[in-house]
Amino acid sequence: KAGIWRCVLQAFRSVEPAMKQTLRSFPKSAFSSYYRGGFEVKMTKREAALILGISPTANRAKIRETHRRIMVLNHPDKGGSPYLAAKINEAKDFMEGQGKK
Amino acid sequence: MAKYLVQVIVLGAQVVTRAFTRAVRQEFAASQAAAQARGTGRAAQESAAASSLAGMSLQEAKQILNVTSMDPVDIHKNYEHLFKVNDKSVGGSFYLQSKIVRAKERLDEEVRIDEAEKSSKDVN
Repeated sequence: KAGIWRCVLQAFRSVEPAMKQTLRSFPKSAFSSYYRGGFEVKMTKREAALILGISPTANRAKIRETHRRIMVLNHPDKGGSPYLAAKINEAKDFMEGQGKK
Repeated sequence: MAKYLVQVIVLGAQVVTRAFTRAVRQEFAASQAAAQARGTGRAAQESAAASSLAGMSLQEAKQILNVTSMDPVDIHKNYEHLFKVNDKSVGGSFYLQSKIVRAKERLDEEVRIDEAEKSSKDVN
């Protein structure tokens, strides 16, 4: 019985590099599933953290750093969407408001 | 004694019935007005269905991609830019990128509905 498994394992090992190669060649979008739906009606901590791409428990410095980065990328003066910029600001304000004791 | 009781009951019933019919009439008028404003055609229904399926209203989709018209060229141009700047590889937010993708999908669907309606009108 063990003999069969050894054969299977060997077969897999020989196929593995080819498998890895194919997986790498797939476009990333084939596997990353985008979040569904629009923005929440009311901002939540979960959403604010997701908008900024940070942990809900991130500290002030982190919040500020990522906010600046995301804002630069999405700046309306550089062809960004004013609505998205407003959401990004709203997310930052929310996270900072949450942190206040 | 009983006569007065009956009178009170009858009066009460009249008041209730009058209020009820008034409410029903108001509700009907309101729904007619709303339907007229939005349009009750098949396209309007399909659009409402698309919004609820996507979990995103047409208005929000337009706001996200910053388009005012339904021009496919505008939509595509804004989508390409926003998708690119919010890519994870350049430090963008995947969540924001997702919303951009969903907005594009919603708008594409709306364009499809509009075209279908236009072509059905041409046939007629």
